[in-house]
Amino acid sequence: MAGQIALIKRPVAVSIKQLSKTYPVLFARLKQLLRRPSKPPVEALRDVSLDVYEGEIFGLIGPNGAGKTTLTKIVATLVQPTFGTVTVRGYDSVRDDRRVREQVGLATAEERSFYWRLTAEQNLIFFARLYGLGDDEARKRITELFKRLELLDLATRRFGEMSTGNKQRLALARALLARPPVLLLDEPTRSLDPLAAARMRDLIRTLAGGDPPVSILLTSHNLAEVEELCERVAVINGGRIRAVGTPEQLRALHRQTENVSVFARGVPPDQVVSALEVKLTNLEIVEQQDELIVSFTRESRDDCLDFALRTLQEHGANVIDIQIERATLLEVLESYENEIESMYEN
Amino acid sequence: MIRSCLLLLRRVRAFVVRDFQLAISYRMEFLMRVLSILIVVTTLYFISRIFEGFNDSKFAQWQNPLAAWLTGLAMLNYFMTGFSSLATAIRQEQMQGTLESVLLTPINVPTVIISSSAWDYVQATLYSSLYLFFGWLFFDVRYRGNFILALSFLVLTTLVLACLGILSASFAMVFKRGDPFGILLGAGSALFSGVFFPTQLLDSGFGKVSRILPATYGIDGIRRVLIQGQGFSQVREPMVTLLVFLGVLLPFSLWVFGRAVRRAKREGSLIQY
Repeated sequence: MAGQIALIKRPVAVSIKQLSKTYPVLFARLKQLLRRPSKPPVEALRDVSLDVYEGEIFGLIGPNGAGKTTLTKIVATLVQPTFGTVTVRGYDSVRDDRRVREQVGLATAEERSFYWRLTAEQNLIFFARLYGLGDDEARKRITELFKRLELLDLATRRFGEMSTGNKQRLALARALLARPPVLLLDEPTRSLDPLAAARMRDLIRTLAGGDPPVSILLTSHNLAEVEELCERVAVINGGRIRAVGTPEQLRALHRQTENVSVFARGVPPDQVVSALEVKLTNLEIVEQQDELIVSFTRESRDDCLDFALRTLQEHGANVIDIQIERATLLEVLESYENEIESMYEN
Repeated sequence: MIRSCLLLLRRVRAFVVRDFQLAISYRMEFLMRVLSILIVVTTLYFISRIFEGFNDSKFAQWQNPLAAWLTGLAMLNYFMTGFSSLATAIRQEQMQGTLESVLLTPINVPTVIISSSAWDYVQATLYSSLYLFFGWLFFDVRYRGNFILALSFLVLTTLVLACLGILSASFAMVFKRGDPFGILLGAGSALFSGVFFPTQLLDSGFGKVSRILPATYGIDGIRRVLIQGQGFSQVREPMVTLLVFLGVLLPFSLWVFGRAVRRAKREGSLIQY
């Protein structure tokens, strides 16, 4: 809750209000006139509303075809909404689309967005010029980004000859060229090795916490990454926002209880059973070699764990490990997926 | 205003430099193109010798057929760039997948399309000049008249054809393929605008087709200036006709283009091909 209050004090960077997008059927009237069969219009987004605050890392998760890409493209002004508005730092994505593009950097995992026969540096210089950077300024900025993203040795290598991971890093370098206050990141670590992915996550965190802070809208299928990076997450499915909140809030929405196991030594089970039974629900005590495993269920963030630890220590136990099994974002995602499926079945 | 113009020029230069870098990554293509122009000019020289001594006052521009063909081909090359490069530019960016990343920068769609075709004009200028240059260097073709007047015909005709190019680009943006402007105007201009033979030879039906093509007036005007040495007062008629074409086509094509961009954004098909 404290986190939420801190967020609300920050200005809104991206505001999405009642956004809907239906892709029309091409030449519908003509097909109707010729009595040709046509598919129904595709409703990609429906009544989507959310805010991304300044310096916030906001995650967008959902299955394929949920509407994540359409939402990102509308924020980036590449697609116009059917209804509703998107404002980026006060600029409307339809009326002030050029201003919005000045505020936004988009990095996708799409390899075809570069010129394959040009070098990494030539590619970035071209895009820097489109952003209005002078040649000297562009070269300075590109060197700075190449150093930061460990691409300096690859500056003169043709894009087509770079590895997938390096191509992805170059996409982020391009998105950062004009120092945009808003970043749209689509699967930022998809093709990176574990170490490079960890460094990328550090960089994302640094950007969000920097001065000036960068607001980040991140879409990813890597739920552990979303949980690690994002202050708030929106679950999108069937073009609708199903839930928005911190990862803890989403988990709590899905499952309010969590299973706790405390591993202790130096105390016989019969001495602690009655003391623990007073407060703990679903209590199970198992003795395994010289270890005692005390398992119970608790409400998220209640005082049961504190009670269990104090009771065990009062009886002379030496606590050696604690394991808490919480609902994961995957379970949250699955629950909304099942909800949609049952809706269609009915 | 000056700042916006400088920014626009800087962006156009960015596209030209990009396309130059891409072009020199295919070195052989450039050499083969230069060689093919030399072969065409040489072939036309030998064909023109069949007509040596031809002296019919009705075909004043064709008394030296090599000069007529070379000016016709040089101009056709330029005009074709005018009406095909805009649509080609957008289709190429769509197919490469780079259109989306270009459109993410603070640059509007018309600037992207015009800038993407800028390199085509640089190339067309070079290759068109090569037709005239090889004719002058190897086969003693002499040009006379006011070069500034010839240049104004070239610019005016290219602008008119660029308006048709904007219509063609609008079509490519919405329908993606099967552009009728490119097909009809490309073939039509080569056949009916007097590139290879005098338009006076066309019968009344095809003659009418010839008269509705802007390229006919452009090529006629340029030949009158460069081959016959005519001045402004003598070429006023094709000049005024081209200005009328421009006055009608420019606002119409920009209106159609605006609608096409809005439709593609609404349908989300701007980057599809």
